[in-house]
Amino acid sequence: MPAIEHYPIIMVAGLLLLAFIMPLLYIWKRNWCEPVAIFAISVALVMSLCIIYEVVQGDAFEEGYWMGGWEHFGIEFKADYLSSYMLAVIHGVGLLILIYGIGDLKKELVEKVRGWYYTLYLLLMGAMSGMALTNDLFNLFVFMEIVAISACAIISIKEDRECLEASFKYLILSAMGTGCYLLSVAMIYMITGYMNLDMVGETMALGVGEYPLNILVAMSLMVVSFGVKSALFPLHVWLPDAHASAPSPSSAVLSGLVIKIYAVALVHILFRAFPMEILKEVPMTDIILWMSTLGIIFGSIFAMVQENFKKMLAYSSIAQIGYVFMGIGLFDPERPEETEALVGGLLHILNHAVMKSMLFMIAGIIIYSAGLKKIRDFDGIGNRLKWPMYIFIIGSASMVGIPITGGFMSKLHLAQGAIAVDMPFFVMVIIASSLLNAIYYMPIFINAFLSESKHENVTFKPVPGSMMIPVVILGGLVLLFGIYPAPVIGVLESAVESLIQ
Amino acid sequence: MEDQIVRMICRVIVPFIQIYGMFIIIFGHLSPGGGFAGGAIAGASMVLFALSFNLQAGSKKISEESASLLESGGALVFVLAGVVALVLGANYLTNLEAGFPAGTPGRLFSAGVIPVITLGLGLKVTSSIVTLFYHLIGGEEEEH
Repeated sequence: MPAIEHYPIIMVAGLLLLAFIMPLLYIWKRNWCEPVAIFAISVALVMSLCIIYEVVQGDAFEEGYWMGGWEHFGIEFKADYLSSYMLAVIHGVGLLILIYGIGDLKKELVEKVRGWYYTLYLLLMGAMSGMALTNDLFNLFVFMEIVAISACAIISIKEDRECLEASFKYLILSAMGTGCYLLSVAMIYMITGYMNLDMVGETMALGVGEYPLNILVAMSLMVVSFGVKSALFPLHVWLPDAHASAPSPSSAVLSGLVIKIYAVALVHILFRAFPMEILKEVPMTDIILWMSTLGIIFGSIFAMVQENFKKMLAYSSIAQIGYVFMGIGLFDPERPEETEALVGGLLHILNHAVMKSMLFMIAGIIIYSAGLKKIRDFDGIGNRLKWPMYIFIIGSASMVGIPITGGFMSKLHLAQGAIAVDMPFFVMVIIASSLLNAIYYMPIFINAFLSESKHENVTFKPVPGSMMIPVVILGGLVLLFGIYPAPVIGVLESAVESLIQ
Repeated sequence: MEDQIVRMICRVIVPFIQIYGMFIIIFGHLSPGGGFAGGAIAGASMVLFALSFNLQAGSKKISEESASLLESGGALVFVLAGVVALVLGANYLTNLEAGFPAGTPGRLFSAGVIPVITLGLGLKVTSSIVTLFYHLIGGEEEEH
């Protein structure tokens, strides 16, 4: 066993390595692709749990990990609380989506491209782990590019007209986002002469008075770039098409994980690279707060009028990513000790990852079993697809924020945080959006169970266990994080504390 | 289009282009250039060949399957070179401190693991260009 401080790099390099081996396997041993991919992500999950344990209990990750031993010059990987939390979320949810995907992809993809899907999936997982771990601005850019390309590819792999159009839109807009990021990094490099986040933070604190304009431009470009990538409200236009037309496992991983990792990267950079004085001078957190508020309200309103179930879930993702950004926005630089809202926002990353990927999987199961895509066709399917619709009740309860589900805990923390910084208006926003969520989630399962069935002559294909079990596990996790969120919140409180210093 | 002059010139010029590409890849750690530049040149030679003859003749030289094998192989070399350093007990991608031989500075066999990585990169870029070209051409043929 290698020492634990090598785990982060073994995880990223191993996932990329297996991603490259996957096409070779596909040529020689076609049946091995799926088990190898599952094995890889399981090992990564175990490693990320080891990392999170070591971060909380031990001290192996106090020092960063320098690639090639180039201390203070090279690329640094640093596992702090936030990144190890994100690693566990990525690999936990990613593993379940992959297990689900094996059943679903047999129907959705043609034989020829299925081996490539696992390549892309492992690339995506490896690059997302890299984004969470890296402490170097340019390395982050490289991983962002890998995530963007492989995310586009797992949308367009279905090769129908809708998917190609959606992924092209996504490609262009996310390239714009990456461009903004690169410009911002160039600005930061101009001021500080470093790429390493810690050193940038130290140097930038010295240069605040001298280069206020450069820092301001760098910060706004950074927020715009990550806003485009994670679909913050006015920059969300690519998301609904992309997430609705992709194959269901891709939608689950894109909505559940990919848009969150950019939010985590923004938190990392905003709080560690930019000095607190700048955040006090510039109302950046207020801007993020209002954008997220608009996103929460309008995302729900757009979701209400959708006919396609997956499109409704996609618009709902815009509203839900608003909560994550609301957590960032409610952070008040004048009162850095009030961190509850930020904890709530970061907690919502986990909760939304679990529940939204679960809902996309249920959408996939309904399409797999009966071929139904429109919400109005769902009347009476509760009798035929009992378990998926039961789990759907848990998921929508969590979306609305009913107690004992995960969604309630994150909304509770956000609301308490809003009160702590004297902004009770945003409590009203949270309540209003919960009501809006109820308006479009509740009728679906009420109609599914109580309406007359219209599907006497539709044949419901039996759903294989490999597709059902991940959904059930995720449903259990939603309840678990609603009843006993204490360990997660403990990790996140330490994460926020170490970020704010 | 079958043009005798173009084909003849191509036949003569392709080996030289390939040797030049290989030179740039192999001397990547000593002279300007390296895996990316050399790989692009070597890949361009295959593109030139397939353009002046036709796709079938080109894919006889490097089939699409072997191109994607080479592509994965090139990337594997890079990752594995990093893992070797891990096995030797240093950080990922460590070069001389991990015990790779330094050789004589300025000669071909020097700089530890860097020539290996450049070679892997060169393979990867060459086969990527060839694969991309095949896919672009192949896609057009399917539509018509």
